[in-house]
Amino acid sequence: MKYVALVLKNLLRSKRRTILTIFSIAVSLFIFSALVSLPTVANQILSDSASSVRIACHNKAGLTYSMPEAYKQRIVATPHVVAVTPESWFGGVYHEVSDQFPNLAVDPETAQAMWPDWGVSKESWKKFESLRTACLVGSGTMKRFKLHVGQQIILRGTVYPFNVTLDIVGVMQGGSAPANFLIFRRDYLEEAAGRPGFVDNYWVRVDKSENVPQVIAALDEGFANSSAQTRSESEAAFIGSFMDNFRTFFRLAEILGFIVVLTIGLVAANTAAMSIRERRSEIAVMRSIGFPSGTILGLLLSESLIIGLLGGLLGCGSAFVVLRIFAVGSPALGPLSEIRMPPSILAETLVVAALIGLFSAWVPARAAARQNIVDALRMVA
Amino acid sequence: MDEKYAIDLEHVSRIYRRDEFEVRALDDVTLKVPEGRFVAIMGPSGSGKTTMLNLIAGIDHATSGRVAVGGEEITGMKERDLAAWRARHIGLVFQFYNLIPVLTAFENVELPLLLTPLTKTERREHVHTALRIVGLEDRIDHYPRQLSGGQEQRVAIARALVTDPTIVVADEPTGDLDAKSAEEILNLLTDLNRQFHRTIVMVTHDPRAERFVDTVYRLDKGVLIGVEPGKGGPARTAAAQAQA
Repeated sequence: MKYVALVLKNLLRSKRRTILTIFSIAVSLFIFSALVSLPTVANQILSDSASSVRIACHNKAGLTYSMPEAYKQRIVATPHVVAVTPESWFGGVYHEVSDQFPNLAVDPETAQAMWPDWGVSKESWKKFESLRTACLVGSGTMKRFKLHVGQQIILRGTVYPFNVTLDIVGVMQGGSAPANFLIFRRDYLEEAAGRPGFVDNYWVRVDKSENVPQVIAALDEGFANSSAQTRSESEAAFIGSFMDNFRTFFRLAEILGFIVVLTIGLVAANTAAMSIRERRSEIAVMRSIGFPSGTILGLLLSESLIIGLLGGLLGCGSAFVVLRIFAVGSPALGPLSEIRMPPSILAETLVVAALIGLFSAWVPARAAARQNIVDALRMVA
Repeated sequence: MDEKYAIDLEHVSRIYRRDEFEVRALDDVTLKVPEGRFVAIMGPSGSGKTTMLNLIAGIDHATSGRVAVGGEEITGMKERDLAAWRARHIGLVFQFYNLIPVLTAFENVELPLLLTPLTKTERREHVHTALRIVGLEDRIDHYPRQLSGGQEQRVAIARALVTDPTIVVADEPTGDLDAKSAEEILNLLTDLNRQFHRTIVMVTHDPRAERFVDTVYRLDKGVLIGVEPGKGGPARTAAAQAQA
């Protein structure tokens, strides 16, 4: 503790340099933590859905191909299946073309049984089942367009040649609820579209997660020789296939994050080297009056560690706040509707900050702590 | 009765190697300084004065020979032990004061005490005492830049004294000062020697220093060429008695 004042005094020796170094570390760690949050959140979504009892059953030819409505009865009759919810992609926009978010039509009577973990209140489910124009909206979309329950909105059709007028009856705000989705009733869509009787995807809920592979096999075998063959997959695999489209982007984000950290590490190392070089004679004086090399090294590293940690706290703290306030996200990111910073990234960023602090000063601090006292004192004279 | 030696150098040589050149900074020097003396090491530039001082202070190693300071042989000490030894036994004063610019006079003087087990209160008392001795108690919160050269050197002397070292080692303590300040510093060092019986070894070019010290050791080209009585010790006492 008796060295704390000494460390702080040295930190404030050149306030401008210290502040600029802290800010440069903060900016780089802001970028790093935001970029690294993206793949981390994606992996978290996948691991959360790993034990799910839901199966996605879609056309084997691809997600853009539909399946007959009549499949529902056959799927329901499959052993271990407890609920089936057909889903059709509407693909509407809110006001402008840029106001996009995933909007789908589902059968209301089984939706609650299919997604009880989406944090929708019983009252909202009830309204969803009773009101033909009802819709449930994810919390992210509610926040993004400043919507409120009870509000009527119009989605302009882009795939279908008509608009739908919807009444918001509830918010999807559970931990696993897709924050930017909107779901409305499929009977409303069918009626507006002239009852084509097609479905884009079937969500299937089974009784136990260990029965998921068995049901997947049964479904795909059952429709093997039909006009629309199916490809069924667990919810985790289904989300994972969406995520795969973004893997390169995630990898790029991670690489960019590390490049930013490496760059700032080198800048911090240069700053630390300059700062320590300027004090070589003072360090020599301290050693000549009896300060051991280890203590000198500890003091110099402490200064750099404090700078790194302050930069880290500022950077990842502001990234955490910014991502929380602005709920940054995009429909283009698929299931990643909201990029939040997980606590693990906060901790990871602080560790990175500490490492930047320690490693940037390690070489010059060690050299200064071990320098020949006589040579260093001669430099003053 | 055997006289105790604060400094005992026996056949000490110090050879530096600079690229392909070999510089013999000290050549087989034997020197003994009894305890409680105020001595000066004098000689032209490059004579090996500072090298000798560095060896006495334990911040440099002899190439050959034996160095004992305060009755303790330091020749073969490891760096870690030597650092602890310096903290206990040596008070260093430099030509350019070498105060830490971001620390106040108080904090600069307190610096060596951070290595001791003293409490904060005890450290404060020691610092106040040291600054009072050098006459700068009223400059306690001043930073080095707010002090004159003479005052900075006084703070440096307080820093050297504060741990109550066995020996005070001063390298050209008046070299960067005007005549008046130099005189004050030499008087201060003399007082410290007389009042506290502290052994003081001073390297200097300053011919005025001869008036203050007990003994002058003369070096030239790394060789001890003479030992002369100064005009400060017994001579000054005798002069004072005669005047009385």
